[in-house]
Amino acid sequence: MFLLQLRNELVKLFGKKRTYIGFAMFLLAQNLIAVVFRFTHATRPLQRLLESGGHVVADYLSALTIASIMLMPLAAFLLPLYVSLIGGDLVAKEAEDGTLRMILCRPIARSRLLLVKWLAGCIFAVALSLALGLFGLLFARLYFPWGGLFIWMPEQEILSLFPAGTGLERYAVAHVMLITEACSIMGLAFMFSCFNVKPAAATILGLSLVFVSFILEHIPYFKDYENWFFTYHLHLWQLMFAERIPWWRVGQSLCLLVGFNVTFLTVGLTVFQMRDIKS
Amino acid sequence: MIELRQVSKRFGQRLAVNELSLRVPAGEVFGLLGHNGAGKSTAIGMMLGQVWPTAGEVFIGGAEVGRERRRALSKVGAIFETPAFYDYLSGWDNLRIFTQYSAPTPAARLREVVDWVGLTGRETSPVRTYSHGMRARLALAQALLPGPELLILDEPGEGLDPEGIAEMRHTILRLHRELGLTILLSSHLLTEVEQLCTRIAVLQEGRKIFEGPLAEAKSNGNWLRVEVGDFPAAVTLLTQAGLITGARDGRWLALATGVGVDRVVRCLVEHGAAVFAVSREQPTLEEFYLSLVRKPEPPAAAT
Repeated sequence: MFLLQLRNELVKLFGKKRTYIGFAMFLLAQNLIAVVFRFTHATRPLQRLLESGGHVVADYLSALTIASIMLMPLAAFLLPLYVSLIGGDLVAKEAEDGTLRMILCRPIARSRLLLVKWLAGCIFAVALSLALGLFGLLFARLYFPWGGLFIWMPEQEILSLFPAGTGLERYAVAHVMLITEACSIMGLAFMFSCFNVKPAAATILGLSLVFVSFILEHIPYFKDYENWFFTYHLHLWQLMFAERIPWWRVGQSLCLLVGFNVTFLTVGLTVFQMRDIKS
Repeated sequence: MIELRQVSKRFGQRLAVNELSLRVPAGEVFGLLGHNGAGKSTAIGMMLGQVWPTAGEVFIGGAEVGRERRRALSKVGAIFETPAFYDYLSGWDNLRIFTQYSAPTPAARLREVVDWVGLTGRETSPVRTYSHGMRARLALAQALLPGPELLILDEPGEGLDPEGIAEMRHTILRLHRELGLTILLSSHLLTEVEQLCTRIAVLQEGRKIFEGPLAEAKSNGNWLRVEVGDFPAAVTLLTQAGLITGARDGRWLALATGVGVDRVVRCLVEHGAAVFAVSREQPTLEEFYLSLVRKPEPPAAAT
């Protein structure tokens, strides 16, 4: 029954056109960025950086490097937007449309319904994260040769060079970690979706908290307290590009993200359980 | 089949349902009447476990809805005034999705119900292409899946044209006759309720002001219809004589307890009033309903 209900939830989710906005935008944005890198001088700073380190530019100006560069802004801005959009819709849109009332005259427990919806949201988040990685690599490969991975993330103090094989592994692991970011932001918007609010409000509330956390985390005064910010733990995927992955930090953040997600789900469940569902 | 015990529901300061007790026996077609805001939908929401009662208990089939939701709602189907569907999915997908919140349902059963409601041939079309009547049929189909014993209909005729209303009425009668369902019908369409229901309850401002068989409701009125030359003068005269307690609509008199038609007529004739017609017609449900929810006008103000 649970699997049938999950399948139905996925049918509902992936039957809607708006579910594909994120996928479509990734296709568009990544294609555009790849074209810009290929046909303009956008790669010059990268080339200079490689040359100053005494590396052969041709070895590292590759599909993997370009795909990883594309990943940074998209993971920071577009991915949160689309997972938040879906997370905010999952309950609130059904309540707004009246289908939630139709569901809740059935003998399904509210907690079970919510769990099915949350899982569907997570599956969407996984699909979107993986699509981001696959599309990025695909489009970068259309315009750039296969080769090593060069990555520079000053904020995380990461400057790394990997041969193609290791680079691909790191790129893949980074996307696995990106799933934690996508699921967590989806879970946050999902929590707000359980309140008696419009779907847009749930999405905006979720995104607002992410952005507020991001802004506070980047204020120098709060540097010592960065551990306390939600977004600090969402950057896990970036650590996968470090020469030596700081697994203790990864473990710490993963534990905290699990805590955040359990909290979001518990708050959502409690609010939803107590709510009156009216027409 | 349904039992509400001293159920109340408060939304902030507003008491939507006030100590409501109600029994819907199995096999009845039960009408729930009341103005907008009388508490009908809130009461139905509590029966379906969508609205939490502030006080009291709701039982369906002997199971308390809040504590034993699965058992209570496993044999319940419901239709709301504006049935909502996933418009981008087909009718078939909608039925499959809704019914699987109750129990796994074989395709053969889905097909049987689609046939029963007359949607065969259109079940694979997206719901957004359905007419209002087709949506109503789809709503009925989802309520009949997987196999309810109780059907709760909250304003099912709302927005339907006269043909649709007639179709709905025939369908409800069929459901009762052919499938033996217990039906709770909340409606503003009093003529429909009159033709369908065997028992009714009337709510006003969250309180139940009447519950009983429809026949009792219709014979309950102690109203006398009179046609006289000067109705206000007749009302004054009869009030002074202690024969009536109220009047309304320029022709209806509420007889005082124990007063018969003969005494009223005699009093009027003895005082020279021109009496053209007197009848103690059985009131329609509408007249009964209005007599319940409207307070009788004071005799002096009656015209």
